[in-house]
Amino acid sequence: MVSPEDIKQYIEAGLACQEVKVSGDGQHFEAIIVCDQFAGKSRVAQHQLVYNALGDRMRQEIHALSMRTLTPEQWAALRSQ
Amino acid sequence: MSAHDTIDQQVKTHAVVLYMKGSPDFPQCGFSANAVKILKACGVNDIFSVDILQDPEIRQGIKDYSNWPTVPQLYIKGEFVGGSDIMTEMYKNGELKTLLA
Repeated sequence: MVSPEDIKQYIEAGLACQEVKVSGDGQHFEAIIVCDQFAGKSRVAQHQLVYNALGDRMRQEIHALSMRTLTPEQWAALRSQ
Repeated sequence: MSAHDTIDQQVKTHAVVLYMKGSPDFPQCGFSANAVKILKACGVNDIFSVDILQDPEIRQGIKDYSNWPTVPQLYIKGEFVGGSDIMTEMYKNGELKTLLA
């Protein structure tokens, strides 16, 4: 079974991120992904970067992944709230 | 007609198209149910929905069409808007309602 830590590693292996946090129960996962490459991109393009990093795993191993994508600036603003 | 052409025609003929598991009345997945709930909250009552569980070719085809591996998928005026997470975010900040207006 896939663990949240596995998913974190898969994402980080395919995308240079500043921060990745994943929680989940092996079926459904939730992730916060902070990456400077998200800057200036649409949300669809941001999520596609993450999906591309996960590749075929997204189709095979991972049933459901909710994600929130943030630039380092957005992440800093969120944490200071 | 290929799955790609069928999808292309659906999203260009209807202003709002939701590819989902099940139907708006009987969604077969929590994420699809969430997508329907959001559209209804935005005042979209006659959702043109496509149940991907009924058609294996569309089920695969929709993932290739948008380069997006999951369902639900929302299209507004021919443009791919996003899945359940993006819909939720855009609903909360009001962008979705603007897009649907």
